[in-house]
Parts: sequence; C-alpha cells; structure tokens
Amino acid sequence: MVVVVRRGAQGILRLIGRRSESIAHDFGALAILAWHVLEATFCGRVSLREIVEQCYAVGVRSVPLVFVTGMLSGLVTSQQGGYQFTGSVPLYVLGSVVTSSVILELGPVITAFVFIGRVGARITAELGTMRVSEQIDALSSLGRDPVAVLAAPRMIAGVIAMPVLVALANTVGLFSGLLASRSTVGLGPESFLYGARLFWHNWDLLYSLSKGLAFGVVIPLIACHMGLRTHGGAEGVGRATTAAVVMMIVTILVIDALFPPLFLN
Amino acid sequence: MIEYRDVHKAFDDTPVLEGVSLTIETGECLSIVGPSGTGKSVLLKMTNGLLEPDQGDVFVDGESVFRATRRQLERIRRKVGYVFQNAALFDSMTVCQNVSQGLPDDEARRCHSPPVLAKVCAALDAVNLEPSEILDELPAALSGGMRKRVGLARAIIGRPEILLYDEPSTGLDPVNSAVITLLIKDIQRRMQVTSVVVTHDIQQAFEISARIALLQHGKLHFVGTPDAFRASHDPAVQAFANRQSAAARAADIMEVS
Repeated sequence: MVVVVRRGAQGILRLIGRRSESIAHDFGALAILAWHVLEATFCGRVSLREIVEQCYAVGVRSVPLVFVTGMLSGLVTSQQGGYQFTGSVPLYVLGSVVTSSVILELGPVITAFVFIGRVGARITAELGTMRVSEQIDALSSLGRDPVAVLAAPRMIAGVIAMPVLVALANTVGLFSGLLASRSTVGLGPESFLYGARLFWHNWDLLYSLSKGLAFGVVIPLIACHMGLRTHGGAEGVGRATTAAVVMMIVTILVIDALFPPLFLN
Repeated sequence: MIEYRDVHKAFDDTPVLEGVSLTIETGECLSIVGPSGTGKSVLLKMTNGLLEPDQGDVFVDGESVFRATRRQLERIRRKVGYVFQNAALFDSMTVCQNVSQGLPDDEARRCHSPPVLAKVCAALDAVNLEPSEILDELPAALSGGMRKRVGLARAIIGRPEILLYDEPSTGLDPVNSAVITLLIKDIQRRMQVTSVVVTHDIQQAFEISARIALLQHGKLHFVGTPDAFRASHDPAVQAFANRQSAAARAADIMEVS
C-alpha cells in the first residue's frame, strides 16, 4: 500500500516536473522568437509588401466578425443592465455601465477571442503545414530567414490590427448599447450619454487600446511559435493548432487579469 | 568540397548517426544509399545547417557550417541547392514565384520583371518544362513529376556550386524517374556542381555517381565506385546491388520477425 502511494506521488511529481519544464521551455522559446522578430524588424529584413498583405488578411478581413461581436456585446450588456437597474437605480447609470463594460473589458477581450479563432489558429495551421511539408526547411535552404519572412510580418500585422479592431469593437458596442437601451428600457440617447460621461476617464480608452496592443503581440507570437515547432504530419498540425488555441486563450485571460491591478489602481 | 567529420546525431535518445566521416570532392557526384531510417536525409540536412549534429562538424569549402555566423550560413546556403523529397514548393506561390525564390531577395521580389522572368524560364527549360504552360500555375495543379522538376529548377536557378538531392525519384513512375536521372546527369555535366544524392534507386545511383556510400546502422558501411559496389561480396552491399540478394535478405528479415 505504502509502495503504491509512494509510486503514485512520484508519478504526480514527475508529471508536474515535466509540465513545468515544458512551460519554461515554451516561455524561453517565445522570448527568443520575440527577440528574433524585433531584430529582423529593426534590421530592415521584413518585406513591407508582406506586412501590408498580412494587415489585410488579419485586420481588414476580421472587420465583419469584429463588427458583429462588438455589436452583440453592447446589445447584451445594455439589455441585462436595463433588466437589473429598472426600479432600483437611475437608468442613466446604464450609460456608464455599458461604456465601462465595453471599453474596459468586452471590446478588447471578445475581439481577442475572435482574433484567436480567426487569425491565431490560421497562423499556427498555416506555419505548421509549411513545417511538416518541409516548406520552412526549403525557405531556410534558400538562404531566407523563416522568422523574417513568415513570423515577423504576421506579428507586425497583429500589433497594428488589434488596437484598430478593438477601437472598432468599442465604437460599435457603445452605439449598439445606446440603441438597445432606448428600445428595452426607453432610455434616450441624451440620458445614456449623460450617464456615460458621468464616470468617464480618458485613461479608460488608452487602457482599452493598450490591452488590444498586448493581445496583438501575444496572439501572433504564440501562433507563430506553435506553428514553427510543429512536427508529426497532419496529426501534428491538428495537435499544434489545438494547443496554440488553448495557450492563447489562457494567456489572454491571464493578461486580462493582470491589467486592472497594474493600470487601474 | 564537402567534409563530414565524425558526425553524431540522436533523436529522443535514439542514435541515428554514429560517427560518420566522409569527404566529397569538388565536382564529384556521390550517392548515399541505405535502409530507411538510417539517417541519410539527416546527413543531407546537416550539409546546409538545417539540422545540427550532436557531435562533429560539417565543412563546405573549408567553412564550418555550425560555427558560421548568420551571414556566413546564408552565404553557404546560397552556395548549396537543395532538392526536397516532396519538392517542398510554396503552396501559396505560383511556379514563377516559387522558382524565383532561388534568386537573391531583390530579384525574388520582382519575379515578373523581364530579366528575372528570363532566368526563371531558363531554369524551367533546363528541367525540360515548358514555361508558358506552367508559369502562373499553383503547385497543387502540377503532377508529382512536374513538382519535382520545378523543385529542381528552384534549386539550380541561383547557380549553386553544390546540389543536394533528397530521394529525387521517390514516388515517381519509371518514366518520370528516368527523366529525373537524366536531368541530374545533364545538370552535373553542364554546371559541374558537386552533387550528393540520397536515393533508394540503386540503378539511378549506378548511372549518376562517381562513388556510392552505403549508410547502415548510423555508420558508413561502404564507400566506393559503382563497379566496386557491384563487385563487393559484402552481404549488406549485395542486398542493395542486386535484386536476388535483396529478396534473400527480405526473406531473412521476415523469418526473424
């Protein structure tokens, strides 16, 4: 019995050790990749044309989905807030609640989730397929740096596109929240905007866009890292994409949790 | 000249190469044969730094591949053309864009400019492909044999001094396989390159090589001319040199298992 318990404990400790080693290894590899991307960018080894193409692919083509999710987040917040506040607090407070919720939290985080699904997963699958079909080896053998050619343009595009998409989600979310508050609880635009201004800080907008910027760095970084280290054929691509999505979601939520104590207090 | 000096490599604690030393002279064509999984492609990938040895080193024209700076390695890689087993063409690029990737950056970006286009067409001509028919096609629209030849065109367009072929005729029908063999011989004759060919096709190895190396259990078992290879009484060499010995060896393996 004692032997079984000891073996079980050893197994658990070994598993924890292996997972910790793997996480530390991933962090180290992410830092190295980030450094190589910075180096390639500041040494002028990244094609401007490729950056523009990636901005279109990851940014412009994400606009419809971000528009829809931004609109729904404002709509739902307004409807639920209206339901809770009716008869208890002045309804103009709804303007403040919708504004704060959308700008501080829902705009950046929901846009990040859209970005993970639409862009992050695609980058990992694309680079992973290139890795297992030796296209990345071919690129290296032609004297090209895969980080400068593949990872850097995608990361730069992510850094440019995310804050813009967050700004779009915020705007659409506020506008849909304003319209929804009129139709659900009969709150006019003047009262909604009065409530919004009452607790408004200019810093909130910067906070929201900074979140977008941080998410725009980590999502393509993790996606590229997982794609470039893919191995094991089609199954490996599937495994890498799933692992990348999980890693991106967890990282986004951790960063989201770190933002208030770091920047709102 | 390529020199492999006491090269060791293991994957997940499984040794693949155990002290391989081999020198390939400038202008020579050497074929590496051996059973699957003995590290032939691993050795080839070490030649231009795609894989790093655990121990030992590889020298290209006297320059260490693994102690080279990034710029030196890029220079070595430009000197070495690599033909991949499955061609490894870039899916999202047309044939023209794929082949032009073998040129320096500034030319690769202008693949439809007349001087670059002329080079791309010449490279496709050299591998017996009609440029006007395939220039704007994506790799997915090409047959296996055409993809291999486009891969070969990409490898030779930059006029490399060394060409590495990773199983160039694997997966092809006998006619296309013979076409690839003729192309390798033709390129070897016209460009005077140093060639290393990893192949399972012993007939191809006999036709194109000045020397044949047999890699077995991570070590070089035999290195010699095609005539010496044919004349060898070593059972491992014989198993590759003629079909009857191969069949006898296969029967042994089946009995053991």
